[in-house]
Amino acid sequence: MNVRTKENINAYLFIFPYALFFVMFIAYMLFDGIKNSFYELSYMKTSFVGLENYKTLFSDEVFLQATGNTLVFVAVIVLIEIIIGLWIASTVFDMKPKFISFIRIGYYIPTIVSMVVMSIVWAFLLDPKGIINYFLKQTGLGSVNFLGDPRFALLTVIFVVFTANIGTTIILYIAAMSGISLEMLEASDIDGVTRFQKVIHIIIPIVRPTTVYILITNIVAVIRLFIAIQLLTGGGPMFSTTTIMYYLYLNAFKYNKMGIACAVGVIMFAIAFILSVPQLNKSIRAE
Amino acid sequence: MKNNLFGYRIKRHGIYDAISKILVFTGAVLMTLPIIWLIASSFKHQMEIYQLPPVLFSRRPTLDNLRQLFVDSKALQWLTNSTLVSLFTTIGTIITGTMAAYAFSKLNFYGRKTLFIIFVSSIMIPNEVMIVPLFNLILKLKLQNTITGMALPAIASAIGFFMMKGFIDSISDSMRESAKIDGASEFMIFYRIILPMCKPGIGALFILTFVRSWNNYLWQLLMGTQKSSMTLMVGVSTLFSDIDPNMALKVAGAAIGAVPMLVVFFVFQKYFTRGISMGAVKG
Repeated sequence: MNVRTKENINAYLFIFPYALFFVMFIAYMLFDGIKNSFYELSYMKTSFVGLENYKTLFSDEVFLQATGNTLVFVAVIVLIEIIIGLWIASTVFDMKPKFISFIRIGYYIPTIVSMVVMSIVWAFLLDPKGIINYFLKQTGLGSVNFLGDPRFALLTVIFVVFTANIGTTIILYIAAMSGISLEMLEASDIDGVTRFQKVIHIIIPIVRPTTVYILITNIVAVIRLFIAIQLLTGGGPMFSTTTIMYYLYLNAFKYNKMGIACAVGVIMFAIAFILSVPQLNKSIRAE
Repeated sequence: MKNNLFGYRIKRHGIYDAISKILVFTGAVLMTLPIIWLIASSFKHQMEIYQLPPVLFSRRPTLDNLRQLFVDSKALQWLTNSTLVSLFTTIGTIITGTMAAYAFSKLNFYGRKTLFIIFVSSIMIPNEVMIVPLFNLILKLKLQNTITGMALPAIASAIGFFMMKGFIDSISDSMRESAKIDGASEFMIFYRIILPMCKPGIGALFILTFVRSWNNYLWQLLMGTQKSSMTLMVGVSTLFSDIDPNMALKVAGAAIGAVPMLVVFFVFQKYFTRGISMGAVKG
C-alpha cells in the first residue's frame, strides 16, 4: 500500500506543473467562457440574461451568414486540400529523393513564412492595381476585384488559405506513402494496371489513417481561421468573408459585446465538436 | 537518346503520370514565386512596387526600406520580442510537457486514463473559445503588453505533452527497472536516464513549439497594443494596415517577417520533418 501511494504521489508531482497551466488557462477559461455566455457584460453592469445571447445570435443575419461562410470554408478547403494533397503526393512519392525534397520544400515555403506574410503578399498581388490584374487585363479577361467584390472575396480567401496550408498535407502524405512497397506496385503492372488505377485503388486506401488525421486537424484549423480574414478582407465585403471565429473577434473586441462573444465561442466549440467526432469514430472503428 | 527515354517513360508510366509530374513540378515553382517577389521587392523604391509592366528585380536597388524598418520603425524590437516570447513558451512547454509525459508513460497512478483523456481532448478545443476570459484574466493580472502575458497561456497546450508521451513510450523500460532495483528515486531516473534519451524528441518539440508560438498572431495582437511591445508578426501587420501609403515599406516589412522562419526551417530541417510526423506543424 505504501509503495503504491508513493508512486501515486511521485506521479502527481511530475504532472503538477503541467496540470497547473492546464487548470488555469484551459479548464477554468473554458468554464468561465461558458458561464459568461449567459451574461450580458458591458461597462456599467454585468447581468445574468440566460439564453438571451443565444436567441439574439440565432436571429442575427450576420451570425447566420457567418455560420454559412464557415461551413463553406471548412467543406471546400478540407476537400481540395485532401484531393490535391493526395494527387501531388501520389505523383512524386516514388521519385528520386532529391526531387521529392524539391517538391516538399517548394509547396511548404508558403507555410513556413506564415499566414501573416502570405496574406500581405497576396493582398499586394491581387490588388486591382497589382500584378495579377495586370496580366488579366493583358490577356483580355478584364480586371477582377478579388478582395473587394462580394462575389469573389470568399473564394479568394479560400485560395490564399489553401496555398498556405497545402504544404503540411503534402509532407504528411508523402511520409505515409513512403512506406508503400514499390515492388507491390510494380507487380500489378503485369495485370496491366495503369498508374491512375494504382493511385485510386491501392495508394489512397493505404493512406486512409493519414487522411482521417488530416481531416480532423484541418476541420478545427479552418474553423479557427483568423489571420487571412483579418488581413485580406477584414471580414467583408458586406460580411461575405466573415466566419464564426471572425464574428467572435468582432463582438469581443470591436463591438465590446463580451457576453455575445462568449456565446459565439460556445457555439464555435459545439460546431468543431460535431464536425470532428464522426471522423474520430471512423478512425477508432478502423483500428 | 533522350527522346527515346522520354517516350519510354510515357509508355511505361502512362500519360496521366507524365502530365501529373509536369503539373506538380510547375506548381512547386509557382508556389515559391510570391516569396521570391516579396524578397526582391523589399529592395525596390516605392514607385517600382506598382510599376506596370512589373519588374521582378529593382533597377536601382535600395536599402532604404530596411533602414527605415530597423531605425525608424521598431523592427529590431519586434524581432527581440518575438524571440523572447517564443523562447519563454517553448522552454515552459518542454519542462511541463516532458515531466507530465514521463508520468503518463512510465508511472502507474490513480486517475491515469481519465486525466489523459481530459488533457488530450483539450487539443480539439479551438483556443479562441477561451479567448475572452483569457483576455480579461491577463488584463486583471496587468500582464498585457508584457512578454509574460504573451507567452504564458500557450504553455497549457496539450500538444507538447502528447508528443513527448509518444516519444517516451518508445523508450525501453529496462534501464529504468534496473535503476529502480538499485534504489534510485523517480526523479533521479527521470533526470539522469530518461531525459538524456529524450534529446531528439525535445529537439523536435522545441522547433514545433517555437514556430507555433512565433505565429501565434491573434493572441499577440490582443496583448500588444503598444508599438514597442509588439511581436514581429503583429508589428509587420500593423505596418501593412497603416494608412501611410509607403508600399515599399510594407513589402519590406513582410519580407522581414518571412526571413527568420525561412532561416530556422533551412537550418533545422530535419527536426521539422521529424516533428511533423510526431505531431503537427500548422501554418
